[in-house]
Amino acid sequence: MNTKEIINCEQRKFQKLIKFRLPHRFMSIGIAVVLLAIAFMFVRAFTIDGETEWLKQFLQKTLLVGMLIMSLSKDKIEDEMTLSLRAQSYAVAFVIGVIYALVMPYVEFGVSNAVHSGGEAFKDLGDFQVLLFMLMIQLMFYHNLKRFR
Amino acid sequence: MINTIKVERAILNLTQDDLAKKIGVSRQTINSIEANRYVPSTVLALKLSAVFNKPVNDFFKLAADD
Repeated sequence: MNTKEIINCEQRKFQKLIKFRLPHRFMSIGIAVVLLAIAFMFVRAFTIDGETEWLKQFLQKTLLVGMLIMSLSKDKIEDEMTLSLRAQSYAVAFVIGVIYALVMPYVEFGVSNAVHSGGEAFKDLGDFQVLLFMLMIQLMFYHNLKRFR
Repeated sequence: MINTIKVERAILNLTQDDLAKKIGVSRQTINSIEANRYVPSTVLALKLSAVFNKPVNDFFKLAADD
């Protein structure tokens, strides 16, 4: 294998990675996973007693996986316009996600201390909160961009 | 970019859905192209050219602000 073939092979694999999408049926699977995770979150919060932090962590991860599946699944008819809208929605989600991660800790800190003196201490957002927000923004923007196309 | 796809489609008596199926895109994409909200790729323009049996320049024109 010469250098040119290696470069071509790498380019093909890179393109394959970029174009990776799940089939359309995974959208329903993603929605089901998200709904189940949310339902179990309520069950855990209101009915299960005792140490369930591990379950909370597990359900949060499950929710993120479900949303990622929804985000990666193809439309019924996937064409160049939907690919373009998807790319736009990821770009918007990334930018808004970064702004959210930078600004939100100060907002939480400010509001908490304004409401009652000596409120919460300043803390950064967790990975779950940022990822959930970014996935939500991506799905919402993609849906809206498709509606207004 | 302005286009006369709607006219070309009418000449061939095709609905947006018919044209969309012929070139493998969604009906909404055809609608967006006709409304000048979306500029298609060269590949899609050439597919339209094949359907209309006309050069791309005949139904896509640069607008004054392009």
